[in-house]
Amino acid sequence: MSATPSPASAVSLVSPRSTPAEAGKSCPVPFLCLFAGAVAWLFAAALLGLIASLKFHNPAFLAGQPWWTYGRVHAAGSAAFLYGFAVPAALGVGLWLLCRLGRARLAGPSVVLLGGILWNLAAAVGVAAILGGESTGYDSFEMPAYCAPMLFAAYGMIGVCGLLTFHQRREGGLYPSQWFVLGSIFWFPWIFSTAALLLLVTPERGVLQALTAWWYAHNLSTVFLGFAGLAPVFYFIPKLVGRPLHSYYLAALAFWTLALFGSWGGIPGGAPLPSWMTSLGVVGTVVTAVPLLAVAANLFQTVRHDLHKLDANPTLRFTYVALVFWIIAGAQQIVGVLPGVSAITGLTWFGVAQQELFRWGFFALAVFGALYHIVPRLLDLEESAWCPRLLKAHFYLTFLGILISYLCLLVCGIGQGVLLADPRHTFPEVMKSSMLPLRVSTMGDFFVAFGTIAFLLNFARILTRPCRCCCGAACAASKPREGA
Amino acid sequence: MNRGPLLFLGLFITMACSWLGFVLGPQLQIGGLAQTNTVVVGDASPQSYPLAQPGAARQGAEIYRANGCSACHTQMIRPLQSGSDTHRGWGARRSLAEDYLFDQPVMLGSVRVGPDLANYGRRSDLNGVLLRLYIPQLITPGSLMPSYRYLFETRKVDHFLSRDALVLPSQIAPAAGYEVIPRPEALALAAYVLSLRQEGYLFEAPPPPLLTNALVFKTNSPAKTNSPAK
Repeated sequence: MSATPSPASAVSLVSPRSTPAEAGKSCPVPFLCLFAGAVAWLFAAALLGLIASLKFHNPAFLAGQPWWTYGRVHAAGSAAFLYGFAVPAALGVGLWLLCRLGRARLAGPSVVLLGGILWNLAAAVGVAAILGGESTGYDSFEMPAYCAPMLFAAYGMIGVCGLLTFHQRREGGLYPSQWFVLGSIFWFPWIFSTAALLLLVTPERGVLQALTAWWYAHNLSTVFLGFAGLAPVFYFIPKLVGRPLHSYYLAALAFWTLALFGSWGGIPGGAPLPSWMTSLGVVGTVVTAVPLLAVAANLFQTVRHDLHKLDANPTLRFTYVALVFWIIAGAQQIVGVLPGVSAITGLTWFGVAQQELFRWGFFALAVFGALYHIVPRLLDLEESAWCPRLLKAHFYLTFLGILISYLCLLVCGIGQGVLLADPRHTFPEVMKSSMLPLRVSTMGDFFVAFGTIAFLLNFARILTRPCRCCCGAACAASKPREGA
Repeated sequence: MNRGPLLFLGLFITMACSWLGFVLGPQLQIGGLAQTNTVVVGDASPQSYPLAQPGAARQGAEIYRANGCSACHTQMIRPLQSGSDTHRGWGARRSLAEDYLFDQPVMLGSVRVGPDLANYGRRSDLNGVLLRLYIPQLITPGSLMPSYRYLFETRKVDHFLSRDALVLPSQIAPAAGYEVIPRPEALALAAYVLSLRQEGYLFEAPPPPLLTNALVFKTNSPAKTNSPAK
């Protein structure tokens, strides 16, 4: 790489790389376990989302069985995405970044492996239980009470290993991605244990349950997924364009303001609560404009002269699109909480559109980008080991699918909100008028599901590749690798 | 920001701020909320509010939760300035924290694919609910609500038609000699949604002065509304 050595603040990622024996590569099995589970769950989530979406074309579709009724499929799809895909993927990518940036080996690989297996088992039990009617009834916290201890224990095993890996780092300075990873590792157990204790173990009284569930869901997406998704974005964009990050201090500003203000919010306008809570949530969410602008300015400045590199590198392409979607989703969230707007768009598909864009458009794409970079390195393969056609199909199908779904739901939500604001339009009338965009959004779900299949195939292909080529000598550690 | 412990301390403090504000603070303010009395309108006597749900409704809440009804139905009436909930006849006043005192779990929902159910008990009856669960499109053509036929049982008529049998129009009625009976789950779910009513005015949501007559007529027993409230 041709970039200059890093300035004083240790921002550059293009310093000489660690030796091949280091950096997570030391033990690929726990990482691959986390990633393989995550990818399989993502496919399940896409499929469940598609089934739920098809029900808007024909409510009688699969309606005869209790397991496949809309409410359960919808909740199971959400849980499969959050607990099957998002958390293990966040942990896997996060641990890899901690290894790579700290030049340390993964601490306790067998514990991480065990934790990953336990987590996936718990998630499987939970999603099956939701389809069986055991959901808790709270958005984003659907897993039944008996899964919570398993999930918590599994997370603890992996998270502690992450902290130990961080502790054993041999690189003194911290790069922003490391803050974000540590933030996400730290945030989840806190919010999850709070929600589990106050919603499931000793339920709070009345509407406080709803408040805690909103707080949990908001923190899970905005802070936990936000941190976990921004960590690879902050790592890969500077690294792959071959320039140091534009500003270390802007990154610090973004990190702390997102932690401080991103954690306040999630309460719908007009909620049955004392109004200071709703207002505080609005203020907190509006102030997340600061991290939004800080991240945007920082990374767009970094990538400004190198946009042509987006075509060449799949990781960079996915990561860049993820960043753009994060900014759009964040901006929509801010606009959506303004009292004048939330009176119209509150409790409509508007919020669902934002959530989908955040989950799939930002987080899933950031993880895809990271996996396209990480997995070949774990397996000691070239990046060209990915099938380029499947990769291309994956990118365009996912990108288009997310865009179609998002725009349709956005239009649907705004239309629904505007019509509902006028009581002369009866509710069935409003629903009928919003049916068209809702149904077109199914096309997006189809695209996303096919894109996920392409990724699943590509992932299976690269995993079985070492077995297929079966030539230890050819895969010597000495071969040159991209990004060095 | 190169020191691990400092980073953790900072994260701990930011996290604690949010936790104190949105978990502990609300708990201190409304965690001890108790049954209260409704505001007296006209010459009506104050009543205890809210009342605990009957047992069947509690079982029905579990059916409501299990089938994810809150994926499409909200249970909250927003204040007059946000949305048209009140004008739509979904409720006479905004929802308040008190309304959910005895709910377990509290399922407020987040999207209105179907109408709000906060006061569903006011505008439907048992037969209406059961028909809607069995074939939603019968009452609202084009409705997106799925049928919950698995909460019903089609069985052979045993000498006499059962008292609970659904009265269905001829084109969807079961074959001669058969009848559709709601299972206990359907009856419990119906009891639950019929128990949903946010009644009476409370201190935080007094009756709007101009609408008093009209609304009192809707919310309280008609016999007591003739006295002028103005």
